Amino acid sequence: MLTVLRKIHPASRDSPLNHQPDPTDLLLEVLTDTGEEFVELRYHRKRTRSLSVEKGRVDQAKISEHTGVGVRVLAQGTWGFASTDRFDKQAVRRAVESARHAALASASARRNKTSALPEVELARGLFELEGTGELIARPLEESLELVMRLEAQARNASSSIQSAGCGYTEIFEEKGIVTSDGAKAWTRLVRPEFRISAVAQKDGEIQRGSESVGATGGWECLFRNNAAESLADKAAKRAVDLLSAGYPEGGRKKVLLSPSLVGLLTHEAVGHTVEADFVMSGSVAAGKLGTRVASDLVTLCDSGISEYYEGAGGSMMIDDEGVRTKNTTIIEDGILKSYLHDRESAARFDVEPTGNARAWEYDNEPLIRMRNTYVAPGDASLEEMIADTEDGLLLDGPANGQADSNGEFMFGTHEAYQIKSGKLGPLMRGVNISGVAFDVLQTVDRVGKDFVWDLGSGHCGKGQPAKVDAGGPWLSCEVIVGGRGA
Amino acid sequence: MSSQKLEAPAFDPALEESRLLDRCEQLVALAVKGGADEAEAFGTFSEVACVSFEKGDLKMAQVDDGTSIGLRVFKDGKMGFTSTNQTDESSLEEAANNACTLAGFSVPDEMNQLPEAREPSLELGDLVQPDVGAFGLEAVVECGRDFVERTVAGDSRISIDKADAQASRVSVALHSTRGVHLSESDASVGLSVFGMAVDGDDVSGFDYWGGNVRDLSRLAALTDETIERFSDAVLGNLGAGAAETYAGPVLFSPAAFLSIFISPVVSAASSIAVQRGRSALAGKLGSSVTDSAISILDDPADLELSGAARFDREGQPTSRFAIVEGGVLKSYLYNGYSSKVDDCLSTGHAAGGARSVPGLGPHAISVAAGSGGDRNAMLEALGKGLFVQRFSGTVDPASGDFSGVAKSARWVENGQVVRSLKETLISGNAFELLNEVGTLSTSTETIFSSARAPFALVDGVSVTAG
Repeated sequence: MLTVLRKIHPASRDSPLNHQPDPTDLLLEVLTDTGEEFVELRYHRKRTRSLSVEKGRVDQAKISEHTGVGVRVLAQGTWGFASTDRFDKQAVRRAVESARHAALASASARRNKTSALPEVELARGLFELEGTGELIARPLEESLELVMRLEAQARNASSSIQSAGCGYTEIFEEKGIVTSDGAKAWTRLVRPEFRISAVAQKDGEIQRGSESVGATGGWECLFRNNAAESLADKAAKRAVDLLSAGYPEGGRKKVLLSPSLVGLLTHEAVGHTVEADFVMSGSVAAGKLGTRVASDLVTLCDSGISEYYEGAGGSMMIDDEGVRTKNTTIIEDGILKSYLHDRESAARFDVEPTGNARAWEYDNEPLIRMRNTYVAPGDASLEEMIADTEDGLLLDGPANGQADSNGEFMFGTHEAYQIKSGKLGPLMRGVNISGVAFDVLQTVDRVGKDFVWDLGSGHCGKGQPAKVDAGGPWLSCEVIVGGRGA
Repeated sequence: MSSQKLEAPAFDPALEESRLLDRCEQLVALAVKGGADEAEAFGTFSEVACVSFEKGDLKMAQVDDGTSIGLRVFKDGKMGFTSTNQTDESSLEEAANNACTLAGFSVPDEMNQLPEAREPSLELGDLVQPDVGAFGLEAVVECGRDFVERTVAGDSRISIDKADAQASRVSVALHSTRGVHLSESDASVGLSVFGMAVDGDDVSGFDYWGGNVRDLSRLAALTDETIERFSDAVLGNLGAGAAETYAGPVLFSPAAFLSIFISPVVSAASSIAVQRGRSALAGKLGSSVTDSAISILDDPADLELSGAARFDREGQPTSRFAIVEGGVLKSYLYNGYSSKVDDCLSTGHAAGGARSVPGLGPHAISVAAGSGGDRNAMLEALGKGLFVQRFSGTVDPASGDFSGVAKSARWVENGQVVRSLKETLISGNAFELLNEVGTLSTSTETIFSSARAPFALVDGVSVTAG
């Protein structure tokens, strides 16, 4: 039996989107005559408004809109996918036939046929996250004025600053998901991002400082933790300060990771290894459910909901298979509890889907992706953690990161501070750190108490991009630091 | 336009280019009607048949086609840009109006001018071979099945996380108020694989390889090479141990050499980076910037590389273009805007697709070979130390600082690989270490069909073992 969800967050009455027709009505009409196979129709309208300024010049003032319908058909135990950039019944029907043809044309090459998908609560109704109407109504002129002003603020912060850049982007997403087993969900949300960078130069040496924030929600969500002006100041100061900073020594070290770096750790080092498709290919998390993979101080989750406070950048109420998103506890008190699933992998593992199926655009198939991934807070203050560190580094400022199938991860940091005998030393240049995820998590000996979402401006790459967020409190653990002068 | 065809006819480049040019002309006319002083429309049409595999089994077959058009307008020196995949009259009109509205409140810049039309002169022949244009879904499924079955048949420890085979056909068209009216099509068949090796509890680090061909007679060779490269890497990654910490010579594969050392040089050779004070190569034209063994060419005439093209994103002619020759910086890369700033001609390096304002970048980077012999000779030249095949880390294009993990890395003693490595970090400064390049291999390799480079032995690299 299907259980139909009620609307969990109806659109606000004053939303400027309220006059729009429900795209799932048309999709449902197509579904009435598609035959016996499982069919999933996903209308996806993505509208992006983007501004970018460097050294006083507007490099980008852009509005882009890409709309279409992605279709998946499960025929003879095999998936076929097709898409159309037209939103009318005839075009969607043709796409259904193309997807069916693709499935049948490839069915002989599929050994392990997919049987029926598991029965699950499927969403029906309109689900709109806060901020969509607010940002649609906000004039882009105001955002351009802010971007111009803050770029100039960063550029003029020091005579060492050679140039600065500032950008602001809003991604409005509207989806309509209809499946032949009962989903009929219409979702709307907005994800704004703000970024600023400064380049400083002295005696031929160049250093860069940057700050960025991203959210799911409105203006207040975006700048909840930092005012835009303070981000400009921080980026400029970091660029200048790094000119005179030294390099930390490399080696295995005790480190205090900032919430943004904890976010990178949870996403890169753990999150990817527990995506069920990767588990089935033999990732390091395969076969470890119920076993200890971290110190008992570590509880790690992935949630479609913005836990602790609103605005996490990967928030979504319904996934792209029409499944309501949940808070999935991946590690509880150090024990591996769950992988992340779509409907097909959930059937193979005989568990409930976790609502992690996501597609970047209408012509992308849904894949298992993270949403908001985090370490739950503990009880230590940052001051206590510094005081308890005899010899180590405090690391902040996330750069890029990557995880490997064997659990080895890497991510970059923009700044480091030496800690000696419980005292914080001067700024040093950022480093890349590495380790084996579950080994590093076993070394966690302190977990901070103050929680921050701090990776909302990032994109995760897995064949197609995805907006995700991650965070946590400050964390004390051991990693390998790639320093100079080895 | 209709987006799906059950029995898709063979790709017709002339027809698609003609359709695109019509849409581009229509959009430019609407922009001028809406108040634009200058307008440029860039359209793309792509048609893809793809089959993907997971865990060695077919996962999904997919067929797609779609159109995108980007419109750039200038109004009183102010720029606006829109893009859309909806090509009906009202959507194009909305796109034109949005671009003009954006230009209305943007910030004026006297250098905001479209480049004049210039005739492409590079002779590339036809980039769409008829058999590639007609390579349908069934052929793609068969190609992918053969590729995956042969990959896993080679060794039972190989685990494919994802693999795919695809045939893609692309047309681009450009029309502007400055007289640019150009189109071009391209078609290729490609393969890729991503995965690892699993031997009991030992899970290797992942690796990936792939490429594409415009000539079907080269598909068998691409398949063989991809299987061999991927299998060698992931099987070699099993049983990983520790490296030794040292500072000194490291051998880099072509892919690692390109990502750590060549990419920051190419980024720093961007005229925009120079003009905006974030290039380490500013003021160094005609000066020695690397070891004299290094020559970097941007070669859009290299048909084995996917960036082969007669014109750039602004319709300016491309050419074989020396960036560094014998260690000497020969030229910066220009697009239309940066060439106006420096009062020179664009070098044909406007880059990007239909969804963004033209940026700046190379087409097909090719690093010249040296005289150090083949891969084995390079290992002998290293003697003892680290061999990096892939780099997972950060390279700051402004400072040249790099730091990250050596992936699919090997420890070498007496010129022989003795074990694979884990938890090995490398760091240094690309601009400084490019003066410490001891030896380049005699031959080059293509890297994912996008660039070409040799193996390189570089001294002075910091290696930190876990």
